[in-house]
Amino acid sequence: METAIATITTFLAASVRMAAPLTIAGIGEACSERTGVINIGLEAIMLLGAFCGFMVTFWTASSGLGMLAGAGGGMLVALLHGVLSVKCRANQNIVGLALNFLVLGLTSFLFLKAFGQSTVLPTCATVPTRAIPLLSRLPILGKAIFNQNIFVYIMLILVVGVSALFYKTEWGVNMTAVGEHPRAADTAGLNVFRVRYMACALNGLLGGLAGTYVTLAQLGFFMEDVTAGKGYMALVAVILGRRDPLRIMLASLLIGFAEAMQFQLQTMGIPVPSQVFSTIPYVAAVFALLFSIGKSRDPAALGVPYERARR
Amino acid sequence: MSKQFRAAISYAAIAVCSLLLAILLILLVGCDVGKAFYGFFNGILGSSYSVAEVFVKAAPLILAGLGVAVAFKSGFTNIGAEGQLYMGAVAFTATYVLCPGLPKAALLALGILAGFLAGGVWALIPGALKARFGISEVINTIMLNYIALGIVGILLQTALKDRAQYFPVSPTLDDGLGFSRLLKGTRLHSGILIALVCAVIVYFFIFKTSMGFRLRAVGMNPRACKCMGISVSAGLIVSSLLSGGLAGIAGVGEIAGLHHRLIGGISPSYGYLAIIVALLGGNHPLGVVIAATGIAALQVGALAMQRAANVPSAIASIIMGAVVLLILARKTLFKRLLREED
Repeated sequence: METAIATITTFLAASVRMAAPLTIAGIGEACSERTGVINIGLEAIMLLGAFCGFMVTFWTASSGLGMLAGAGGGMLVALLHGVLSVKCRANQNIVGLALNFLVLGLTSFLFLKAFGQSTVLPTCATVPTRAIPLLSRLPILGKAIFNQNIFVYIMLILVVGVSALFYKTEWGVNMTAVGEHPRAADTAGLNVFRVRYMACALNGLLGGLAGTYVTLAQLGFFMEDVTAGKGYMALVAVILGRRDPLRIMLASLLIGFAEAMQFQLQTMGIPVPSQVFSTIPYVAAVFALLFSIGKSRDPAALGVPYERARR
Repeated sequence: MSKQFRAAISYAAIAVCSLLLAILLILLVGCDVGKAFYGFFNGILGSSYSVAEVFVKAAPLILAGLGVAVAFKSGFTNIGAEGQLYMGAVAFTATYVLCPGLPKAALLALGILAGFLAGGVWALIPGALKARFGISEVINTIMLNYIALGIVGILLQTALKDRAQYFPVSPTLDDGLGFSRLLKGTRLHSGILIALVCAVIVYFFIFKTSMGFRLRAVGMNPRACKCMGISVSAGLIVSSLLSGGLAGIAGVGEIAGLHHRLIGGISPSYGYLAIIVALLGGNHPLGVVIAATGIAALQVGALAMQRAANVPSAIASIIMGAVVLLILARKTLFKRLLREED
């Protein structure tokens, strides 16, 4: 019994840890998509975040500064995407795709430039686990949720905070208005472009921060393509969670659970191909899209650039 | 100045910008620019092997790029060429594993058909979902890329695994059953010829048949099509099937012409590069062939430059991304130049 509870606890803790970066990046993407800007360059945002976060932590030995730098790096990518989508009215999907190539190349290039071809990977200390007093002593949940690193707490705060932003503030209403009917929002005196740029910036900030999770909490080092598809995974969480912060976290937990399960089975030596589990979230996303017909609609202006001077 | 001339100037400016970016990056790593460029061009044109290598890489890019272009023509944003390519490769591998003893011609005909259908069906899923329910194809095609990769991984450990091998690889295609070598001492195979034939077929289909016309019409103005009695769903379904099928043939070529067995990672992002190829090629078959050859040369050259002058080959990825972004921003960047004088 004791061991069973211990196993379940470790398992839950692992799922929650893996869910954190997906939720943080997913909430950022949800902000952007609600205003009508779809960014499949989330992978690029996270990758530059992971890179900047690692470099600054390596140089300053401060993971706090690293996280700030990562958020800044992510914001840079998202704003570039924003300018091209909002001002240049380019195809948002192609911009996102091109950014993925650009940032993948750029981070590898700069990393090689900084450290050269060495066999020893430069490393930095990972962020420590911090137990929340009292709460961490709860059975099972205490260990799984309240004895984690800072990213998990940021995730929890974001879920509450951004839910409030979306549903309880005028800003949230403005974002929805811009995403559903930019012309009407413009007529009502909202600055469509500014709202979209703000949402893009927020997306970059959160995505970059989520990227630093990979280098500063999970690995402690950087290598080429270190985020390895986590950005696309976060897009899955956004779809499964229908752009709602709480649901995005639940979807991310599901994905985290599948990942933890895969590791567990591998360590237990059960010969199931690991891809059986790693593919589940993607299949679930396709079905989620299929079954959400009629229930949850995309924002009407998703991916559509807004032109002021056009009837 | 004529309109075309102004457009040409803007594209030339983009080319100069990219070249300057390349020089800047080379200087950043502290390399000799002349040596780096010599390494780049020598790596492409230096020997018959290197020239052949460009076309080895161009073949899948042309096929997948044609596929993406056909999809874009009908307004179907196909980001799933990568998965469709892998499904084509799986289908060809399954064909020669399941039907041993077939003569070469029969095997290749059956294998290419199977690859076309597998890739086609893989694109038809998001295509039909868009046509029938209006579900956005962008996310679905990306998801299906990852699902295809998962399927490849699972099959390589189960049904298609070579039992004699420790690593997850499929049984090897028997000698002499794959695509023929075109040049001795190089890796060039007849996949490039198939790609060029497909480019011609796609050109005639898109621009010279009524189905092709309807397909383009659906891409330009779906609402007008509905009013004129052109079926938007039919257009989407045909274009997605054809689009995925072409990417599937690219996958067949990688197995039949190059690797001769299915392994993980046969495609170094060909499916994603294909989207850039279609964009740079203006969704026109001839443009696609030129753009695919250019991108292939860029990749081969960048690898050679890394060997010759120690410039990281990641530079190719940076340049490609930057060129696409500049082209997307072209109309805003060159607003003054491109403005009509009326």
